[in-house]
Amino acid sequence: MTALLELKDVSKTFAGGKVALENLSLAIDAEQPRFIAVVGESGSGKTTLARLLLGMIEPTQGEVRYGGDDLSRLSGVRRRAFRREVQAVFQDPYEVYNPFYRVDHVLRTPVRKFRLATSQAAGQDLIETALRSVGLRPEEILGRYPHQLSGGQRQRIMVARALLLRPRLIVADEPVSMVDASLRATILGSLRRMHEEMRISILYITHDLATAYQVADSIIVLYRAGVVEAGAVEQVVRAPRHPYTQLLIGSIPRVSTERNWVGEQRQPDRSVTASGCRFVSRCPAMTERCVGEAPSLYRVSADHAVACFLQQESAEMPNHELSEVLTQPA
Amino acid sequence: MSEPILRVDRLRVAYHHPRGAVRAVDEVSFSLRPHERFGLAGESGSGKSTMALAILRMIKPPGRIEGGEVWLEDTRLSGIDDAAIRRLRLAGIAMVPQGSMNSLNPVVRIREQIADALSDHGLHPGRRDLAARITALLGQVGLPPEVALKYPHELSGGMKQRACIAIAICLRPKVIIADEPTSALDVVVQRQVMETLGRVQADLGAAIILVGHDMGLMAQFVDRLGIMYAGRLVEVAPIDEIITAPHHPYTRLLIDSLPSLEHRGGLRGIPGLAPLLRDLPSGCAFHPRCPLVTERCRTEKPAVREIGPDATVACHLA
Repeated sequence: MTALLELKDVSKTFAGGKVALENLSLAIDAEQPRFIAVVGESGSGKTTLARLLLGMIEPTQGEVRYGGDDLSRLSGVRRRAFRREVQAVFQDPYEVYNPFYRVDHVLRTPVRKFRLATSQAAGQDLIETALRSVGLRPEEILGRYPHQLSGGQRQRIMVARALLLRPRLIVADEPVSMVDASLRATILGSLRRMHEEMRISILYITHDLATAYQVADSIIVLYRAGVVEAGAVEQVVRAPRHPYTQLLIGSIPRVSTERNWVGEQRQPDRSVTASGCRFVSRCPAMTERCVGEAPSLYRVSADHAVACFLQQESAEMPNHELSEVLTQPA
Repeated sequence: MSEPILRVDRLRVAYHHPRGAVRAVDEVSFSLRPHERFGLAGESGSGKSTMALAILRMIKPPGRIEGGEVWLEDTRLSGIDDAAIRRLRLAGIAMVPQGSMNSLNPVVRIREQIADALSDHGLHPGRRDLAARITALLGQVGLPPEVALKYPHELSGGMKQRACIAIAICLRPKVIIADEPTSALDVVVQRQVMETLGRVQADLGAAIILVGHDMGLMAQFVDRLGIMYAGRLVEVAPIDEIITAPHHPYTRLLIDSLPSLEHRGGLRGIPGLAPLLRDLPSGCAFHPRCPLVTERCRTEKPAVREIGPDATVACHLA
């Protein structure tokens, strides 16, 4: 497998000693496009992961590689290629716009900078096609200022902008957490369609396990800077093995007449120190061993890995093999 | 059936705009029974937060309450003076705001913020009394006593929201209005905060209005649910009935737009966009998005009708 973008044993520690991400390896295949969700609560390291992949921050340890080259040392030409092939969609559809420019600006700039079109008319065509493919009507969008559009429209323009560049990977960091539930489906649907029709890999970063289950093929659950569970969505969401994933799924309120909203049974014990499992202070199944020792990943099936001693019957899996459980054919 | 604790009768709120008035709440009526958990759900811009503010008479210009009445037991809220409504807020009806991060004063310790709330209502307990009272309040929302000495930035999101609940209940209100109290929290913390809110409500014997858009949260928490669309309350029914057999097509779509955890491939949105309040469609405001639209819906605005002992709907087809 050749990797388009790859994290190799990456850790990120911020000033002050906060460990945001610990020893993560993840490869985005160059040939086989994937739709991978990264799920976790705030502080789990999911935005740090996005920023590392986009080259916005550098790892404290390990390497981020783009087509085999260290991302922080790319030549001008390669850096340009990276900037085109790897696109981002961020959480806040308000902050990414300059309020003094019409929204056309965020669409025209990449066309010009990357010389995507040979003429004005061709550029305009490209922009209109991109807008239509995310379900927007160009005549209702172009020429407007950001404040004249809804949050959902603005977020779809950001997806259209990413699309213009014909990227191979889109890193979408909480793209729908600020839009209404009724619009989430439309935006996530466009990402899914781009993945299927244009063979673009998507890394969908979210705190919302339910939408991740709906659109992604595989999923990584992060908890306090590390992977606790990963694999095919059907495995992780329908048959979760890690107590944290189980807690996460049980905490989602369901539309049902059954009041089955279960949550944490045990009060977190803050006194337990962190030399062991990262979840030990909250785990209902913790043992002595979990306090002193951190579990490695165990591969419970071809497309499912869990970092928990409860799975120690299964074979241990080195961290750098994480991508293997994410790329099994469904 | 017991007398309602809160009664909202044909309430109307408009925001004045150079291009004409915008009707944010349009003839909304409902009542809240003692101890009841009532939900108000809808998309952004449906008027649900404006409703919450209007009940407390907290609408600021260019917004204005144009008509209708709100009764808290025997008190008509539009009939009392500003000083009286100020006393009634917190003591009679308390609000747990959206986004606790922004509603706590960042440079004041939690202890002083609770003491402020008390002294604003003429309560000045002695030092020891005050400390005991604050400890008890924090205990009620599941916070340790040392939180009293902390500043908001020293607390997690869930703890801040609990601190807001502690302030809201410090005068033992009869009605608690919680406006999306958990929208900024993770699901695990959300459940803990909602459990706390439910527990203090039961302790106090208060009724609660939960404003939000998450139908899952509503299904798990409230007794009765009202659905708002374009400023109108388009359906009200006991929670079990409304989720198993909704009468309004919009309610159905709202329920279906929640992503399932049971089977994949069912991610559906609601077609179209929420209407602009200053430019509402003719007839039923939902008709351009409605899958069951008929000719009549385009021209005639459906009235709110009673369809069951505890249920109303505003739809020609129901």
